Amino acid sequence: MNPNLKTTLKYLLLAAVFVYPLFSFANEYVLHVMVLIMIYMVLAMGLNIIPGFCGLLDLGYVGFYGIGAYTAGLLTIHFGLSFWVIVPLAALNGAIWGVLLGAPTLRLTGDYFAIVTFGFSELVVLFLTNEIWLTRGPLGLPGIDPVIIDFSWLSTLIHPQWDWYWEFIGPQPYFYLGLFLVALVYVIMGRMEDSRLGRAWFAIREDSIAASSCGVNLLTYKVIGFAISAAIGAVAGAFLARWTMFLSPDMFKFWESFLILCMVVLGGLGNFKGSLVGAAILIALGEVLRIILPALNLPTETRFLAYGMIMVLMMRFKPMGFFPAIATQSRKNPILIKLKKDLGSS
Amino acid sequence: MIGKTWLKAVMACCLVLVLSTPALAETIRIAVASPFTGALAGYGDNVKAGVTLKVEEINAQGGIDGKQIRVEWMDEQCEPREAATVSARIAQNRNIVGVVGHLCSSAHLAALPNYLRHGVPVIAPTTTAVAISEQSKDRAGNTWAFRVVYRDDYQGEFLAEYVNEVLELKNIAVFYENNDYGIGLKNAFVGKAKDLGLNIVGEEAYVSGASDFNPQLTRLRGRNPDGLFISGYYPEGALIAGQADGLGMQVAKFGADGFDNVDYINLAGSAAENTYLTVPFLADAAEGDAQEFLQNFRERFNREVDWMSANAYDAAGILLEAIAEAGADRAKIREYIASINSPENAYHGIAGMTYFNDVGDTLKPAFVKMVKDGEFVAAPVQFE
Amino acid sequence: MFEQQLINGLTLGMIYALIAVGYTMVYGVIQLINFAHGEIFMLSAFLAVTFITVFGLPIYVVIVLTMGCCALIGVMLDIFAYRPLRQSPRLAALITAIGMSIFLQNLAMIIWGSRPKPFVQDALPAFLRTTALTVGDANISWLQMSIFGTASMLMIALFLIINKTRVGTAMRALSQNRTGAALMGINVNRVISFTFALGSAMGAVAGIMVAIYYNTLYPTMGYVAGVKAFAAAVLGGIGSVPGAMIGGIVLGIAEALGAGYISSLYRDGIAYAVMIAVIIFRPSGILGKSTVEKV
Repeated sequence: MNPNLKTTLKYLLLAAVFVYPLFSFANEYVLHVMVLIMIYMVLAMGLNIIPGFCGLLDLGYVGFYGIGAYTAGLLTIHFGLSFWVIVPLAALNGAIWGVLLGAPTLRLTGDYFAIVTFGFSELVVLFLTNEIWLTRGPLGLPGIDPVIIDFSWLSTLIHPQWDWYWEFIGPQPYFYLGLFLVALVYVIMGRMEDSRLGRAWFAIREDSIAASSCGVNLLTYKVIGFAISAAIGAVAGAFLARWTMFLSPDMFKFWESFLILCMVVLGGLGNFKGSLVGAAILIALGEVLRIILPALNLPTETRFLAYGMIMVLMMRFKPMGFFPAIATQSRKNPILIKLKKDLGSS
Repeated sequence: MIGKTWLKAVMACCLVLVLSTPALAETIRIAVASPFTGALAGYGDNVKAGVTLKVEEINAQGGIDGKQIRVEWMDEQCEPREAATVSARIAQNRNIVGVVGHLCSSAHLAALPNYLRHGVPVIAPTTTAVAISEQSKDRAGNTWAFRVVYRDDYQGEFLAEYVNEVLELKNIAVFYENNDYGIGLKNAFVGKAKDLGLNIVGEEAYVSGASDFNPQLTRLRGRNPDGLFISGYYPEGALIAGQADGLGMQVAKFGADGFDNVDYINLAGSAAENTYLTVPFLADAAEGDAQEFLQNFRERFNREVDWMSANAYDAAGILLEAIAEAGADRAKIREYIASINSPENAYHGIAGMTYFNDVGDTLKPAFVKMVKDGEFVAAPVQFE
Repeated sequence: MFEQQLINGLTLGMIYALIAVGYTMVYGVIQLINFAHGEIFMLSAFLAVTFITVFGLPIYVVIVLTMGCCALIGVMLDIFAYRPLRQSPRLAALITAIGMSIFLQNLAMIIWGSRPKPFVQDALPAFLRTTALTVGDANISWLQMSIFGTASMLMIALFLIINKTRVGTAMRALSQNRTGAALMGINVNRVISFTFALGSAMGAVAGIMVAIYYNTLYPTMGYVAGVKAFAAAVLGGIGSVPGAMIGGIVLGIAEALGAGYISSLYRDGIAYAVMIAVIIFRPSGILGKSTVEKV
């Protein structure tokens, strides 16, 4: 395929996905799965900062996801705050915890840091489970309001008959909200990657000693990265809370951290565009298996048997992930573009 | 390369679309949403057994209006996230006229918004959480979610009264599982027990899947209780009974429906003796049909019936009766089920009669079983 | 009460330690967190019960046989899942380990069913359940005694293998410098396979002991035990075998005392909090080698 056609096709497909929910044949289940994929896209992009950009293994990302979700859920139930106020608050809360955890522990190297993050996420889940006065614990937090867009104050000013008040019902509005979030995080990630911040992270990942001799303050940059990553996770959590309208500590188990990490690795470490693909593949895989297995006359019980096997095989044949980081770094750099063209690589 | 992966992703989506479009309906389809993989798959299997038996019976009689019943088994691992996805899938597929599920209260709560919005009648065989009562109606005030099991609060209070009046124990140690079921049950029990003047000497918690309960039991042992209430499920319950025995705690143990599984006795061995439990279904008290069901169940699955299977059998029975009476239409099925609202027109299943109140809860008698000589038997004193 | 809690914790800790050495040895030689190790622990319990019920073998034979089978499974795991990824990034192997863990867990669920099963009590000598001795107000059963005994014996054996045999020397060489070891004529792949076999055999004994001690086995039992044992391995200093033993025992006792005296709700939390605290103040675990960052 020549590059032009490829680009056109890419945008066509993107447009098709974009308008899909508007058609009457749109399948709500497919939309639901797509929204789920988008939440994981945001999570995977956010997590990518830590192992991908800074080169540290983070096994506890789900902790921040849970903090964001419960922040949003509790603020909605007790104070009835609007989604648009909650998102920054959740992000802030996530970032604060990111700094609190990161500052003392980011000095640790290698897998010791991983295990601390893991311990942290388990502690978050235990807190959510046990502090029943605050979170209702294992009883779950039902009855969270959906997202509401309320411009009625403006519309009544313009025209008394108008009522610009929309409550999000069904997956279509969430689809677009999710798309907006993914786009937002995508743009932020892109800007960060090419900024001073991003370059400092890459320097730390490639050779922290060299980076430190060049005047990069290792701890500061790592903590900033950790805080941003945590904030993005918390935003995804806030979206989840207002979308599912029900929270329970079960939703933030250790397994989720793994799943998100798998998405990042599968997409390609350090390449946040790959994370999008990783998220889409792993979430879709579970659903595709749900449909395919009965068609092959296999019992439902084999779903995760196949899931595990496919994960192993994917890593076996794509150990670097689908898009290794090097392929996208500074794509706008003319020298690299020329070099790539000359080398004739895809 | 980017383009190729995009293509693959889109192809996968198309595949999902194509495969999820309904096949031409020669059958009536219902869905069963439960965990069939993951840590709680064993319970899901109980539900599966109950529904399978009912559906096979109906199909063997020629189905409903000549149409066979087909069950879609929907695995949700008892996870709220998966449950929400599964419910979206069920709601979208208009050929699925009703649901038996979910197994866990948290999964059920996460799934309900989808069912309510699309109008899918759903009968839960096992969810005992109190919060479900407030989430069972859609915006128009129609109840779509029903359950054929009593709530935690009823069961807990019943047990407290039984302990007080029949077992006549005074100092109770409470050991509860830290999940919605264990906490809901414990709170109801402790509340009532305190009203009745019982002395709760200690409350300890454990997490599901744990296998070492010695620390908590050691602590409870120090308070000299004469009764141990284990608010949880049988796999942990059996270990607790065994370990309490190992620590030399010779006390009466009692639990609730979560204990009603022969594996409790198998796992706990002699430590299971003198365990009392409340159950919604008592084989000895069961009516005519039930003995036949018990027989069939043993033959088909080669194990003893537990209350989950019995309730799932009844839940499927109510759903299929509604389909037979009202036709394979979601709204009509809902109306029919909602009209089962008094003892006069109750559904007579193997677990006694079932009728629903305004919010879809059922009012059922509870029975008491006990373990004697390695077997479950009806407790000598039943209680109204 | 304190003595009883200590004994409970010690029993638990011994079991954690046995699993943790499997993690730590594999980590030592190939820097892989082998998350599928917990599943081997689980498989061993099921295999043992199967050997007893289907073939009617005596328990001592079953233990040896299960150790052998699990060692074989460990080696196969290495050959089929991890060996092709030796040259790949570490995270690829980690994801593979997670994938294998899911696979094995669900495989067990399909083969043996998802219900918890009791261990075959008839196969055990009856005296195990009786009290061996009483310390203060604590009862120690023969079963607990034999767990201490078996675990200590295995640890000593392991220590001897690692420090006194040629293959042990090769393992230590490998953990210091793989390329260097290969240049000295060590067959790297064979030594790695041996490490997997050894770790899996240890895990197998732990699996059988847990199944007997708690009288229950179920397909998801590997997950919790695996995670705890992994934490124990890190606590002791990952890569260090004596560290894993100490880490396991510390974690077991911390858990039992924490659950007994502080809060049973935060039981696991106490274990993790201890772990985090140790790591913050001793960044390479209790016995880990602290690596000096050279500039």
